[in-house]
Amino acid sequence: MADLLTERKPYLLLLILLTFHLGLMSSVIKSGGQRSILGEAIMSLVSPFLKVADWAGRGVSGAWHSYVGLRGVEQENHQLREQAEALALRAQVAEESRQELTRLRALLDLRESVPWTTVAARVIARGVDGSARIVTLDRGSRDGVALNQPVITPRGIVGRVIEAAPGACKVQTILDPNSGVAGLIQRTRVQGMVVGTGERGCKMDYVSELSNVEVGDVVVTSGLDQIYPKGYTIGVVASIGEGEGLTKLVELRPEVDFRRLEEVLVVLKAEGASEGRVP
Amino acid sequence: MKIGRSLLALGAAALAQALLSRYAPLVARYCDLFTILVVYYGLTCPPTTAMLMGTGAGLVEDSLVGPVLGMNGFKKTLIGYLVGTFGSLFVLNQAIPRFGILFAATVVDPLAELGLSVAMGQSFVLPGTLDLLQRGLGSGVLGLLFFWVAARLP
Repeated sequence: MADLLTERKPYLLLLILLTFHLGLMSSVIKSGGQRSILGEAIMSLVSPFLKVADWAGRGVSGAWHSYVGLRGVEQENHQLREQAEALALRAQVAEESRQELTRLRALLDLRESVPWTTVAARVIARGVDGSARIVTLDRGSRDGVALNQPVITPRGIVGRVIEAAPGACKVQTILDPNSGVAGLIQRTRVQGMVVGTGERGCKMDYVSELSNVEVGDVVVTSGLDQIYPKGYTIGVVASIGEGEGLTKLVELRPEVDFRRLEEVLVVLKAEGASEGRVP
Repeated sequence: MKIGRSLLALGAAALAQALLSRYAPLVARYCDLFTILVVYYGLTCPPTTAMLMGTGAGLVEDSLVGPVLGMNGFKKTLIGYLVGTFGSLFVLNQAIPRFGILFAATVVDPLAELGLSVAMGQSFVLPGTLDLLQRGLGSGVLGLLFFWVAARLP
């Protein structure tokens, strides 16, 4: 049997593997993104390596910056070089710490200002092409993370959890074309469905051509999808065109800079989310 | 031994891709290390090995950042089979044909995803032509470098 599969009939193996993957895809889509034991198992196996990679990457990045800093002062005399080296390193560490502090403070402010139970998480992986349609966080079901929990930053919403392994979770961001967020124009309360358009950003569907929408209008969550808390920023209207039928084509620029996404908050419990306020 | 080496290669590709996408997203955008690995196995091993590597690489990619589990597994298995079969029919040990295969595999990847997404009723935004060409070029160049390094490994 093994010979048959490996030597004589490779296309038999191809058929088996493709059927297996099709089965996986169908089951995931059919279950509406419910728990996938295989996916969680693989994620659990690989996520520790990613965390190590993240840690090592920070170390290498720090060492590289230090090296660059050292080379710059080599031209000076020995005494000044030592001082400059120390100062450059300290300044670098301080600057890095300052930036991290700023980000974490913003995250902490947000965490304290929102009426929900949250957990802070770090992005440890993103799409292989550097895209941010799906990102992986270093928090999982062990930390209380579960399916469909919203993920936010001080600037706006990021997406929702679509898979949670014990030590990591996968988040579908609002850039993903399969994502959907119930949104509304903050100024005129016009409602619609915000859908990702890949790296280009998002668009708002089902906006009537008679509705009052202008470039620069802020779009926030409406809470009608029962996933995202109401009143949280999604993005800003970037352009308006003619859509299909009697609708407008409203393109949005997300408030969150997905290319620089590092730390986020996962909303574990959103009690009173419908009465949530705009931060 | 071979299985251990393959798993190691897969783990290394996952780590390298994670580091690239985090610290050099622009580079990560234009090279797909998993595809390079599958093409390497396709051109240096029997098609069955390439398919199994494709399945492994695809599942790892799916579990980490894939929108639907099985999507990348399907694509990479198919790429492994096609490259493996092509590699067993023709002698492809020169840089230019290898570059062509790497380029084609990288371009086929999003096209296959588009087809699968349509078949599964999912949405997918196909990258622009220039973007696809750049990705193919990036993966081609990095893939050749990978072949050169791999040939010098003990």
